Amino acid sequence: MSPLRCFLRTPEAVAGAILLAALIAMALSAALLFPGDPQAIAGPALLPPFQDWSLPLGTDRLGRDVLAELFHGARTSLAVGLAAAAAALAIGSVVGTLAGFAGGLVDEVLMRITDAFQTVPGFLLALAFVSVVGPSLGIVVIAIALGTWPGPARVARAEVLSIRERDYVAGARVIGMHPLAIAFREVLPNALPPVLAMSSVIVAAAILTEAALSFLGLGDPNRVTWGGMIAEGRAVLRTAPFLSIVPGIALVLTVLGVYLAGEGIVETTAVRRGLS
Amino acid sequence: MTALASIRDLTVTYRRDGNEVAALKTINLDIVAGERLAIIGESGSGKSTLALAIAGLMPRSSRIEGRVDWLLPSSPSSGAKAPLGGRDIGFVFQDPSASLDPVMTVGKQIAEVAYTHLGLTWPQAYAKAKSLLERVRLPDPDSALQAFPHQLSGGQKQRIAIAAAIAAGPKLLIADEATSALDTILQAEIVALIRRLVAEDGMTLLFISHDIALAAELAERIAVFRHGELLELGMTAQIVGAPTQAYTRTLLDAHIGLDAAPLLNRAGLDA
Amino acid sequence: MSLLTVSNLTKSYRCGSKTIAAVDDVSFHIDPGETLALAGPSGSGKSTIARLVLRLIEPDAGRIEFEGNDFLALSGAALRARRTRLQMVFQDPLAAFNPRATVARVLDDPLRIHGIAARAERPRRIAALLERVGLTADVAPRAIHEISGGQRQRVAIARAIATKPSLIVLDEAVSALDVSVRGQILELLLDLQRQERIAYVFISHDLGVVRAIAHRVVLLEGGQIAESGDARTVIDAPQSAIGKALVAAAPRLNRIRP
Ligand SMILES: Nc1ncnc2c1ncn2[C@@H]1O[C@H](COP(=O)(O)OP(=O)(O)OP(=O)(O)O)[C@@H](O)[C@H]1O
Ligand SMILES: Nc1ncnc2c1ncn2[C@@H]1O[C@H](COP(=O)(O)OP(=O)(O)OP(=O)(O)O)[C@@H](O)[C@H]1O
Ligand SMILES: [Mg+2]
Ligand SMILES: [Mg+2]
Repeated sequence: MSPLRCFLRTPEAVAGAILLAALIAMALSAALLFPGDPQAIAGPALLPPFQDWSLPLGTDRLGRDVLAELFHGARTSLAVGLAAAAAALAIGSVVGTLAGFAGGLVDEVLMRITDAFQTVPGFLLALAFVSVVGPSLGIVVIAIALGTWPGPARVARAEVLSIRERDYVAGARVIGMHPLAIAFREVLPNALPPVLAMSSVIVAAAILTEAALSFLGLGDPNRVTWGGMIAEGRAVLRTAPFLSIVPGIALVLTVLGVYLAGEGIVETTAVRRGLS
Repeated sequence: MTALASIRDLTVTYRRDGNEVAALKTINLDIVAGERLAIIGESGSGKSTLALAIAGLMPRSSRIEGRVDWLLPSSPSSGAKAPLGGRDIGFVFQDPSASLDPVMTVGKQIAEVAYTHLGLTWPQAYAKAKSLLERVRLPDPDSALQAFPHQLSGGQKQRIAIAAAIAAGPKLLIADEATSALDTILQAEIVALIRRLVAEDGMTLLFISHDIALAAELAERIAVFRHGELLELGMTAQIVGAPTQAYTRTLLDAHIGLDAAPLLNRAGLDA
Repeated sequence: MSLLTVSNLTKSYRCGSKTIAAVDDVSFHIDPGETLALAGPSGSGKSTIARLVLRLIEPDAGRIEFEGNDFLALSGAALRARRTRLQMVFQDPLAAFNPRATVARVLDDPLRIHGIAARAERPRRIAALLERVGLTADVAPRAIHEISGGQRQRVAIARAIATKPSLIVLDEAVSALDVSVRGQILELLLDLQRQERIAYVFISHDLGVVRAIAHRVVLLEGGQIAESGDARTVIDAPQSAIGKALVAAAPRLNRIRP
């Protein structure tokens, strides 16, 4: 059976794939459908949804188009979520591989650093980092990755510790391969599957963290973000609840979609590995 | 000479990645009650498949044609009653750690077989387990009952696996490469143990191996398999002394015994 | 002068509170082009000696002299360079290769690492190596798990001879193979030895095979040498208790054969 058909067998995975596809479509089409500045004024303030079909989801306190903001917000969420998760996975696998493969003092030092990062709550770390360095998209990505990499690092290290003892690693040493080449060419690729299996959870968490940072006013001020939209709507929560609810729903569906699709992929690879 | 099981036109096909692999092709074979029958052949010749098909343990991805008829003395109707794995057939595999539960004490694992199939109470089942450990000559059976598999050596684990396989007093004991992972000293001990247990209980033995010398030491009859076909079946002395098939002769010649002509001379390195 | 001289090699492992002497004061030597067998029951320390000789683990005490140099004194790049002369073949050829590798990559590695052949020339060298071990060049693009066990062990041997070593350690290299395939691999090893004067440390618990291909044998028990000498002399009339037990336990066809 082809991997795709295998993947689409479970209804959860299908739902996840649809949600994720919708999100990606939104992010990609944002600039096409809403070419102007989403933060520009588009109509009367606080227009409720489904009143004016040129502004289907209405406007916010400043008269900005909520639908345009939603589409552009999808871009930020997706970009930050993927970039932060990629950074966390990359840092985590490199640190975990080095620690597990080198052993001894290197392992000890790297794992104490990992411990230190893991004991501080990731969100607090991101909050502190952004408040000190200042909010911009790149900084937010780094801030989120900073709190997330210890998880993948631990998983990678555990996997490397078991792979390190295999004959093929001894074989690579026997032919005179450099230890770093063994660690990153021979061991790391085989240690990756369980690390990558964490990516759905990490992407989902990164999207939520980014939203929370924006909600607290620590997001990139030049970009529309869902967290920022919810914060905006908070002031008029009683009179215009839709301003918070719409981006809130988008956030929930996105996280759900990422998570379900991720689980589906893990399931598929596990089944395929079980078959072979 | 009564047959314990008679295999008629047995054909087994595995489905894998869309294509079919014929693992056994129209096998006809009678297993005589009380005999020691060895199945030999190269890797992939279908030996394990035959064992699994006899025990009714084929995976779902396989298709089975033909019949395996049983004449179990225990069954009142003495007809084609399907045997029960564990009670009527005991199985010993190559890798004992794979067939033992790593988180259950050895005593419990053996007692469980006796409890399930013999209707004993737990204390009786444990007593039975202890006597089985004595029968397989495990040193210090009392502490072995409490041990977990990882605390035992390979040879000890294989003894435990044998004890569990014979706990319910099966009619047929199937040993699939049961000694291949052990060194020659342990291998000889396990083979002697199997021979003794089979003789004492009047069990029938199906011994699967790719080592023709080992099979010849243990079995009364030998069946030679190749590419899923039964090439040759006969008494051990006949198979070893006067094989009719060229392939059997190759197998015999490939055996490097302690009396084999050294390969080294041909290489001319001694000088 | 001998190729490899091992003196008073000792290695112990801590297992909980107990210390196991896996290798206990073992000394032996090998001449160029010679086959020395290490035989003994399971757990007697054969693989540990192999790993010590290859510097995959470090000894607690003892000396290893290889090609006239103190092998234990080497480290880093010097050790990696010297490894070209000393190779190993493992028991399970499937476990001995990266599960993602292809045959070509497995053979490309040693050629590339030691700069033995330029990139453009490597495919030709790989084909030649494959041919040398009795395979054809068309297995090169295949994944390691797509070839048979016997073919895999041939690839392992091809990889071992790629760097033109003077000594190959074979740890149970034929034990997992079918009898018929085993014979072919043994023939291949002898053929290579004859043509390139490679010495072998041949580890096995099968005395029949040891007797057939080794010049000398060292019988081990509990990490110590129980007996050593000319392979045929030792196996035909063992003096030590473990030697007698191993010989007695070997299955024999001639007891039945007329
Ligand atoms: N579950 C399975 N699915 C698909 N094919 C299988 C399966 N089990 C075995 N086969 C195939 O059936 C054939 C016979 O396999 P079998 O395991 O019976 O051989 P064997 O004689 O026991 O070999 P070995 O000595 O290696 O254990 C082989 O070609 C094998 O690849
Ligand atoms: N990494 C390790 N940690 C602890 N003990 C070990 C380790 N490696 C080997 N040993 C012990 O050292 C002894 C020798 O083991 P070794 O693997 O050298 O035996 P062997 O002769 O190769 O046996 P086999 O024929 O089973 O391969 C054994 O008692 C083993 O349990
Ligand atoms: Mg089998
Ligand atoms: Mg070993």
